[in-house]
Amino acid sequence: MTVRVVPRAALDAWVNDLVQRQKVYGVQLKEERFAFGPLVRAADLRLDYDVTLLPPKKYFLPQREVLSRFDRFKVEFEPVLADEPFVLLGVHPYDFEAIRQLDAIFSRNHPDAHYLTRRRNATIVVSDVETPSQDVFAACMGTATADCMDGWDVLLTRIADATYAVEARTEKGTALVGQIQGTKGAGEADLEQRRAVWDRNRDVLKKHQLRMNPEDLPDLLARSYDHPVWEEKAALCYSCGSCNLVCPTCYCFDVADELHWDLQTGERTRHWDGCMLEKFAEVAGGHNFRGGKAARYRHRYYRKGKWIHDLTGDIACVGCGRCISACTAKIANPVEVFNRLMEATS
Amino acid sequence: MRKPRIGIFDFACCEGCQLQIVNLEEEILDLLGVVTPVEWREAMSDQAEKGESFDIALVEGSITREEDAERLREIRARAKFLIALGACATIGGVNKLKNNFGMNDVKETVYGEAADMPHLETMPTKALHEVVQVDYMVHGCPIEAAELAHVVRTLLAGKTPTLPAYPVCVECKLKENACRFEFGEICLGPITRAGCGARCPSEGSWCFGCRGLVDDPNTQAAREVMAHYGKTIDDLRGKMLLFNSK
Amino acid sequence: MSEATVQNRAPAGADAPRSIYLPEPATLVDVRPMTKQEKFFRFQMARAEGMKYMPGQFAEISLPGIGECPISISSSPTRNGDGSFEMVIRSAGAVTAALHRLSPGDRVGVRGPFGTHFPVEDEFRGKDLVFICGGIGLVPVRSAIHYVLDQRDDYRKITVLFGARSPEERLFIGELYDLKTRKDVFFQETVDVADPTWGGNVGVITTLMPQLRLEADRTVVIICGPPIMYKFVLLELRKLQVANRNIYVSLERHMKCGVGKCGHCQINGLYACQDGPVFRYADISSVREAI
Ligand SMILES: Cc1cc2nc3c(=O)[nH]c(=O)nc-3n(C[C@H](O)[C@H](O)[C@H](O)COP(=O)(O)OP(=O)(O)OC[C@H]3O[C@@H](n4cnc5c(N)ncnc54)[C@H](O)[C@@H]3O)c2cc1C
Ligand code: SF4
Ligand code: SF4
Ligand code: SF4
Ligand code: SF4
Ligand code: SF4
Ligand code: FES
Repeated sequence: MTVRVVPRAALDAWVNDLVQRQKVYGVQLKEERFAFGPLVRAADLRLDYDVTLLPPKKYFLPQREVLSRFDRFKVEFEPVLADEPFVLLGVHPYDFEAIRQLDAIFSRNHPDAHYLTRRRNATIVVSDVETPSQDVFAACMGTATADCMDGWDVLLTRIADATYAVEARTEKGTALVGQIQGTKGAGEADLEQRRAVWDRNRDVLKKHQLRMNPEDLPDLLARSYDHPVWEEKAALCYSCGSCNLVCPTCYCFDVADELHWDLQTGERTRHWDGCMLEKFAEVAGGHNFRGGKAARYRHRYYRKGKWIHDLTGDIACVGCGRCISACTAKIANPVEVFNRLMEATS
Repeated sequence: MRKPRIGIFDFACCEGCQLQIVNLEEEILDLLGVVTPVEWREAMSDQAEKGESFDIALVEGSITREEDAERLREIRARAKFLIALGACATIGGVNKLKNNFGMNDVKETVYGEAADMPHLETMPTKALHEVVQVDYMVHGCPIEAAELAHVVRTLLAGKTPTLPAYPVCVECKLKENACRFEFGEICLGPITRAGCGARCPSEGSWCFGCRGLVDDPNTQAAREVMAHYGKTIDDLRGKMLLFNSK
Repeated sequence: MSEATVQNRAPAGADAPRSIYLPEPATLVDVRPMTKQEKFFRFQMARAEGMKYMPGQFAEISLPGIGECPISISSSPTRNGDGSFEMVIRSAGAVTAALHRLSPGDRVGVRGPFGTHFPVEDEFRGKDLVFICGGIGLVPVRSAIHYVLDQRDDYRKITVLFGARSPEERLFIGELYDLKTRKDVFFQETVDVADPTWGGNVGVITTLMPQLRLEADRTVVIICGPPIMYKFVLLELRKLQVANRNIYVSLERHMKCGVGKCGHCQINGLYACQDGPVFRYADISSVREAI
């Protein structure tokens, strides 16, 4: 668990070598925004990104994935599990916390082999935030830094202009970092600089200020079911699901069969779904168990602050701020809603 | 097993959608492998006997004259399954722009002096479902070839396909696009039915609503939301006119 | 479609983890029409040990190319020595309509059984049992009714109330007749709307309830029916002083996975597919989305 220091040039050389040998996904520019995508060279890697449009969960629970291949006439299904190892470069701490939460969900009770196989194949390089995004509030959720988080393979922190601190925590991570040429052991001054980055991030990743401890959310929500804020906010809701789809801790899905032209073989696929979409809880015959906008709107906040907590003990909002930016109606800000509940109930 | 018979018909429209079918290219061969086309002006020279029936009728274009309405009813009677193809057929599309004006103004604008000639008799534009029962709508202007292929395959497997009930934003997010609103543009994505894979935002342009509105569009919210972006409700209405005129 | 669709390859080793979404093969051994909308099915699993389940559980039935849907198991494990299981399926959409087109010998995919079951071996023992079923709600409850009738001595008084929308929508007509004629069961039924063939009760199911003579402290009530039915039946039960802990309900929700992952079936914080579909009413009386 030693920390090493590496110049950016050495890091780039390592990345350029790595992409030749392995599948690597890294953060890159996309339409003036950022997105994780297949990385072909170090020059495209943007460790200074603010936030990605979609969270890295898309590599564990892809927007669309094949669960099985079938034969319609033989009535046979053959499972499909992704088995390609890959490296995920530049995951922010709050997004890593979300992955850890999904790990808990997908490995409890009936473990989900599709998710877990992808997860096992991944080596995750977390990188500390260099540029805060416009809506991030990770610092309010305790997810601004990865120093207290478990499970990441490598942590990368920019401690000076072109210098990074690298720490490996797992065997996989150690093996990966071992390939970087020209590193040296970190001195006390380097570690001090790294702590300074963390202190700064715990301070600045707070574009919205949550006026309570996240641990108080379950109790707050327990007494807010009939609060007027649900109706008020939901009146502007387009039921577009954007707040679900961009959320790193959302994992609801739909399953569909797709046939090939032979009309015999095909694939059973799963797709992202979202509880804000109108038909999410509708059953055959037309009865909708969450037919009103306000009921759907409330459900999302309860999922983030209470229901998942009841299930796994996690607060399922990591403060990435994506839903705030993604909501065209500007009503999806969890901080605003939770603060509002505080006002009325305390 | 008898191959299902398919007929393709057009009414008032640009016929771009039929071109889309021709453009299915590789898919067209697969399609022809599983169906027998019996009537299709665009791609076939010999036509079916009048009155012959089909398993699937693909109909594009909107209804603007009573004689079209009559021909559509006749097609309906011959088809087990009738699919409306493209915005003109599913929502009236651009053809409905004229419904925003009086019928005589329309005729005068289009035909000038000749407007009173009897063969130019016109009526308010109707989408197909406003005239006959439509079993499925392949929305879009033009349609997505892949969606039509999917619909045909699904039908042939004995399953009625379902239209996406959610708006374009869903597919836009899945494609990981930056939102047009962030660039100061008005996008109709939040109230437009999905299915196109968010084609326009994926190419850096706003959605102009060619697939029609979702079942329960929140147009109420529009005023406040527009204000948030420094726009007015008329800015939004202007955008909606093109494809979503009544 | 998406660039995030990571390339898929079949796992190499034989010890690869099993997918919880993979249906197992089963064969349709018997199918009969019941009403205009419902058909009766009996399936046999290909696996040697057959289907092991308890009354109230459900399974996901798959037709590749069409889809998958959750269906209650309607037979009792006391009567499935051969490992087969029965279902009653209403043609309500894509998958169910396609199931209606099957003939004996056809194959389907099955996952399950899933969910909680009626506590026939625990809380039901030694109690008076009152089954209140509306329409297709009879289907899952039939499994429990058969179960307790097959171990009749383990239970005390057994009452069955059944309500259908109309006489032609009554399910298991022969079995309803058996229940009516059995000396050890009190059976009452009603239809919402009568037709000329009908000589029995007319009215919604709650109209049968005032005549119930219950000893509330040793009675367990089981309710299953369309979503609107629960509220009214529960109101009547309150009048009859039945405690919430002695009431069991079976609830329907939109389900996709059956294993607590897809999120569709959530009732506030509960999962109908895992915490249910059978719930003790005392556990959900304060769960706002439940009833
Ligand atoms: C625990 C449980 C037990 C059930 N038992 C029975 C039974 O014994 N007999 C019976 O006829 N029906 C039963 N149903 C209802 C049955 O599952 C639906 O009618 C069926 O899913 C409709 O699917 P479809 O493809 O035919 O219809 P579509 O409308 O084409 O279905 C779309 C999809 O939505 C989902 N869905 C739609 N409606 C429901 C629903 N009501 N419940 C859950 N998922 C739904 C399914 O995934 C379905 O494939 C039960 C439902 C649940 C949840
Ligand atoms: S709820 Fe919003 S801020 Fe919280 S994790 Fe999800 S997208 Fe990020
Ligand atoms: S229920 Fe809603 S908030 Fe929760 S994971 Fe699913 S989509 Fe996200
Ligand atoms: S992003 Fe906004 S408008 Fe869309 S569903 Fe969420 S809250 Fe509603
Ligand atoms: S660009 Fe348009 S379709 Fe895409 S998310 Fe924004 S509003 Fe929705
Ligand atoms: S994005 Fe909008 S305008 Fe463009 S194809 Fe889709 S529905 Fe039509
Ligand atoms: S059916 Fe998927 S979580 Fe219950």
